[in-house]
Amino acid sequence: MTTLTEATGTSAARETPARRRRRVDRLPYLLLLPCLAVIAVLLLWPLGQVVMMSFYKLDSVRQLRGDREWPWVGLANYAQILGDPFFRTVLRNTVLFAVANVALTMILGTLVGLLLNRLGRKMATFVASCVMLAWATPALTGTIVWKWIFDDTSGLVTWLFNKLPDGLSTTLFGRSDWTGYGWFNDPLLFFAILTLVVVWHSFPFIAVSVLAGLKSVPSELQEAARVDGAGPWRVFWSVTFPMLRPVFGILVVLSTIWDFKVFTQQFVLAGGTQDRPTFMLSIYSYAEAFSPPPKYGLGSAIAVILTLILLVVTGVYVRMVLRQEDES
Amino acid sequence: MNRWKRLAPVTAIVASAAMVLAGCGGSGDDEKAADNSKLTVWMMGEGGDAQNKFLDSVEAEFKKKHPETDVVVQYIPWLEAPKKFQAALAGGEGPDVTELGNTETQGWAAQEALADLSGKFNGWAEGKDILPDLVKNAQLDGKQYGVPWYAGVRSIFYRTDWFAEAGVKPPTNWDELVAAAKAVQAKKPGTYGIALPGNSELPFYSFLWSAGAEIATKQGDTWKSGYNTPEAQRAVKFWTDLVTVNKVAPPAAAGWNEIDARTQFSTGKAAMAFAGCWQGAAMKKDNPDIEKVWATFPIPGPDGKPAPAFAGGSDIALWKDSKRQDLAWDYMTVLLSKQKDKEFASSLGFFPVYKDLVSGGDYASDKVMSGCATAMQNTKLTPLTPKWVEVSRTKTVTQAMNSSVIKGQKTVEKATADAATEMESILNAK
Repeated sequence: MTTLTEATGTSAARETPARRRRRVDRLPYLLLLPCLAVIAVLLLWPLGQVVMMSFYKLDSVRQLRGDREWPWVGLANYAQILGDPFFRTVLRNTVLFAVANVALTMILGTLVGLLLNRLGRKMATFVASCVMLAWATPALTGTIVWKWIFDDTSGLVTWLFNKLPDGLSTTLFGRSDWTGYGWFNDPLLFFAILTLVVVWHSFPFIAVSVLAGLKSVPSELQEAARVDGAGPWRVFWSVTFPMLRPVFGILVVLSTIWDFKVFTQQFVLAGGTQDRPTFMLSIYSYAEAFSPPPKYGLGSAIAVILTLILLVVTGVYVRMVLRQEDES
Repeated sequence: MNRWKRLAPVTAIVASAAMVLAGCGGSGDDEKAADNSKLTVWMMGEGGDAQNKFLDSVEAEFKKKHPETDVVVQYIPWLEAPKKFQAALAGGEGPDVTELGNTETQGWAAQEALADLSGKFNGWAEGKDILPDLVKNAQLDGKQYGVPWYAGVRSIFYRTDWFAEAGVKPPTNWDELVAAAKAVQAKKPGTYGIALPGNSELPFYSFLWSAGAEIATKQGDTWKSGYNTPEAQRAVKFWTDLVTVNKVAPPAAAGWNEIDARTQFSTGKAAMAFAGCWQGAAMKKDNPDIEKVWATFPIPGPDGKPAPAFAGGSDIALWKDSKRQDLAWDYMTVLLSKQKDKEFASSLGFFPVYKDLVSGGDYASDKVMSGCATAMQNTKLTPLTPKWVEVSRTKTVTQAMNSSVIKGQKTVEKATADAATEMESILNAK
């Protein structure tokens, strides 16, 4: 790296400012190349393969090995998926789940971020460490623990509900004995628990990012607003939020991407790919492609559809954010 | 020039990455052709001392004929096997011989993972004595793709101490089954009468078959599901009523698989559970004391006769990509020989696959094996078509049908009609 800077420096000394700028402008792209090469090998190449596979009828591993022909079927895989009424259920599940989770994650994350900003140093460190622990827990292990918490016979939640006074429990829920209650039986309840797990996993990142943003906002602005008689609600929406708009923009985009492709938590909570009424796009794609008998073409087509939806959603949102920035 | 120099490391990285990728694909076919120093065998499950000792004795026997070959045994967990097979098939580097669940043999044969053994099997004298149902289950389009290794059937494990306290005997028909479950549950508050695996299909088929229904039958070229019949509806109603009407199993049972359910039994939370006799070892791992208070009885039919049971078990197959087909077959004939089969099956709580061994054993006097031995006399199979695995494993048609009734989402009539339609559309798809 040192030789590189030296080389640029010595040649730059002899050049006019305009030429020098052009020279320097090329450097960032060169530095990006290694990264691009890795992305190309690990991401772009497989992505291209998935798109290609979605146009073929692939239902045998022998085809993947090249021992058998790949019959071209054009858009037949897409037609089959889009024409299947089950796809509408899956799409509805995915979209509703993502909307609910992005909203809840953002709200909870922002609130915790604001709290961390107000707390004293020691308390803030303590709360931040606790919150980060949730984020540091791997999705797989974290979800297994949640599954135990909701175990139908010896789970913590079952135990807590059993501790409720019988009369109260019966009035509220119509039952007093919760042992053996199927927490994951009803799709709505299943999604509620899944939301809890996913929000628990993802809000710490939002909280810390919002905190970082808040630290960069001069506190004088908020104080001035408060002196002028603005309540906390008004201060947030009129001062803090506009200042942090780019931060929120990127956080919403990231959360949307994460929540659209939730897989691990659902796979563990549902105990595999058996619970079809609660399918979302990513697990649907996986189940079609890899459950026997494999249908790699069909699974690829679902994955492409998921990718397209994500591109559209994030594209629209990024444009919205950019336009707002131009205006302000 | 300067620029190319800067690019050099990048080019090197890309090139080496490309070489790594290429390396994965290219396996030296020629080198392997004559290499008989190693035979790779995949076994399912976690193994254990008993199985290791047994396989060592098989290897010793095999080495008498092939002293230059080492047998390498690898254990694959049951649930990981499909992924492992798929990866092996895609990469071209698989085992030479593998064990596989007998419900999966047809599916992997259809994926061209397994070698056609028809010629070898027909020329093997001992093979003629293997139970014909099991042999047929390892066939696809009339060709033999696997050889049965051991067999197992499910029966009902029950708590002898709790049954004695409640004053009930092992039930012999459906009404007695409910009555016994209720009686024990009343005597032992906080436990379940029967741990129902609502999200499993194999124990349910015993009820379906004993009610007189079939899963699906082939009429000419079309499969016709038997779920849309009064007999099947009767079975579904009985199965789901255990939760919804008789309340001898909890609502959570809708999501239980066989392992969830039998764990309720082994940890002392249920009086009865469906399990294969070979699963006794796993239950003892949960709770070593359970052995003192358990026994089995065959799953009863509605009218006092034991219900037919699904003939589960394992097959041994020869991997199609193996470069050592004849050597592998020699190993298989040692492993599968009548003598070795008897040794192995009895050490694990399974049944051997040979007709004369099953009927001749002293299983009737064993408190765990006796229930299974009775069931073993009347076994049935799931529909013989490679498409069955999609009904059974991917779309889980039967499990979804029963669960939806237990969860109160569908009536018995609607659930059976929907399941019949879905099953027929899968089995008859072109």
